[in-house]
Amino acid sequence: MQLSSETSSPPLNIATPRAGHDIALKAINVSKRYPTGVEALKNVSLEIGEGDFFGLLGPNGAGKSTLIHCSTGLARPTGGEIEIFGSDAVDHYEAAREAVGLAPQDINLDWFLTVAETLDFHGGYFGMRKKERKERVDELLEAFSLTDKRHERTRTLSGGMKRRVVLARALMHRPRLLILDEPTAGVDVELRLELWQYVQQVNTEGTTILLTTHYLEEAEQLCNKIAFINGGEIVAEGTSGQLASKFGVSSLEDAYLALVGRKELSRAHVGEDSP
Amino acid sequence: MSPKWVRFYALTNREVSRFVKIKGQTIGAPLLETFLYISIFGAALGSRVGELDGVKYVVYVIPGLILMAWAINAFTNNASSILQQKFQRSIDDQLSSPAGPMQLLMALTLGGFLRGMTISVLTFLAASLLVDLPVDHAWAAVISLMLVGFFFAQLGVLIGVRAEQFDDVSFAQTFVLQPLIFLGGVFYSASLLPEPYQTLTHFNPVYYMTSLVRYGFLGQADVNVPLSFLALAAATLALFLANYRIFKTGYKLRA
Repeated sequence: MQLSSETSSPPLNIATPRAGHDIALKAINVSKRYPTGVEALKNVSLEIGEGDFFGLLGPNGAGKSTLIHCSTGLARPTGGEIEIFGSDAVDHYEAAREAVGLAPQDINLDWFLTVAETLDFHGGYFGMRKKERKERVDELLEAFSLTDKRHERTRTLSGGMKRRVVLARALMHRPRLLILDEPTAGVDVELRLELWQYVQQVNTEGTTILLTTHYLEEAEQLCNKIAFINGGEIVAEGTSGQLASKFGVSSLEDAYLALVGRKELSRAHVGEDSP
Repeated sequence: MSPKWVRFYALTNREVSRFVKIKGQTIGAPLLETFLYISIFGAALGSRVGELDGVKYVVYVIPGLILMAWAINAFTNNASSILQQKFQRSIDDQLSSPAGPMQLLMALTLGGFLRGMTISVLTFLAASLLVDLPVDHAWAAVISLMLVGFFFAQLGVLIGVRAEQFDDVSFAQTFVLQPLIFLGGVFYSASLLPEPYQTLTHFNPVYYMTSLVRYGFLGQADVNVPLSFLALAAATLALFLANYRIFKTGYKLRA
C-alpha cells in the first residue's frame, strides 16, 4: 500500500489555506423540498471549521446526501444559503465549487474513459492546465496503487478499484474541502482501513473533510466533530463524548440508537435478560 | 489559456473522445449508410429517374444526404451521450464542477455538432470524387449546414436531458426526426408531389433546410432563401435559449 501514516510518498493534497475564512462550509437555514413533496431538509444550519474532520451521521433518508448535493450543485436548495470558504455555493458558485472535491456514495465513473482519463478530464473541468494535470494524475495513480490500471476503462475495474478512482478523482484538483458520502459502504475491511489512512493523511495536510457514514466506529475514530441529522434536521452536534453525554449514554453508538429511538438494541443490554 | 477555456475545452474534449472511441459505430456506420443511399438512389435508381430540376438525380440528392448525415448524427450523439451520462450519473462530475450553464450546454452541443460535421465533410469529399458536385453558393451551403447542425445538436441535447429511458430517444428519432427528414425533400422535389402533399410539405421545417442546402450546392431553391435563413436562424436561437434556461435551472439534471 502506498499510503500509510508513515509513508514517504508526496502529499496527496496541497490545500492552500486562504486568510480571512475559518469556516469551510456554512449552511444557513437550508431547506429542500423535492417535487414529490418530500421535505428532505428543514432549515438546516451547520458550520464546519477549516481543518475539521466532520462526521454527519443519521439513518437512511435523514438528509445527509441531500445536504451534500445542495452544497455541490447536484441539487438546488429551496431555501437558505450555503457558503464554502465564504463563497456562495448555490447561485454564483464558481469559487465555491473550485474548493470542493466530492466522492459520492454511488460509483459514478464514466464507462468510456480510462482511469487516467477520468482524472485528467476532471482536472480539466476544474481548470487545471495540461502539464499540471499530467503530474497530478501520475502522483495520484501512484498513491492509490492504480498506476498499472491507468489505461484500463473504468467499467472493467473491480468494485474496490472503482472506489479508489472515485476518491482519487475527488482529490485531483486539490480541494480545500473534501466531501466523502459513505466512502466505505460495501468495501472490504482491507480497503476500508486503507481509505481511512488516505483521508487521515489528507486531513493532516490541511484539507477539511465532511464524512457521512453508517459505520459509527469509523466516525468515532476519524472525526473530531460529529453532527446527527434526522428527519431533515440537525438534532445534535459535538464531539463523540459530548454527544454521548447529551443523550445520557456511554458511547456514540448508544447516542445514535437513542436518536433513532432504538435504545433496546444497545450492546450494553446484551445478556441482561439471559437466565 | 484561462481556467474557463481549459474547462470548456475539457468538457468538449470529453464529448469528442466519446464518439472517437467508438468510431466504428459513430462515424463508420453512418458513413456506410450515406454511401448506400448514394449507391441505391444514384447508381441504381438514378439511371431510371434521369434528371431532376435540370441536374442528374444522384447530384440532386447529395446535398440532402449531407444535411441528413449532419442532422441525424448531431441529434443521436447528443441525446445518447447525455442519457448515458445521466444513467451512469457520471454527468454529476461535470455538474458539480465550476462550469457554468453556458459552458456545459455548448460543450454538450459541440459533441454532436462535430460528429455530424465530420461525417458530412467526409461524405462531401467522397461524393466530390465520385460525381461532379457543384458548389454554386459556398457561403449558403456552409451557413445553412452549420445552422442545421447546430439546430439538431440542440434538439439532441433537449431530448437527452428530458429522456428517462432509451426508448424516449428512439421514439423521437424514429417517429419524429426521420419522417420529417425523409419527407422534407431530401430524395425528391416537393413540386413533383400531388396535392395535398405538396402543400403539407411546406409545413415541414426540414423542407426549408433542405432547400437552403440545395441552393448552396446547386444554386436553385424552391423557397425564399433570405426568409428561410431568417426562420432557421430564429428557430435555432429559440431552441438554444430554451436549452440555456434548462441548464440554468437544472431541470432534469439537478435534483
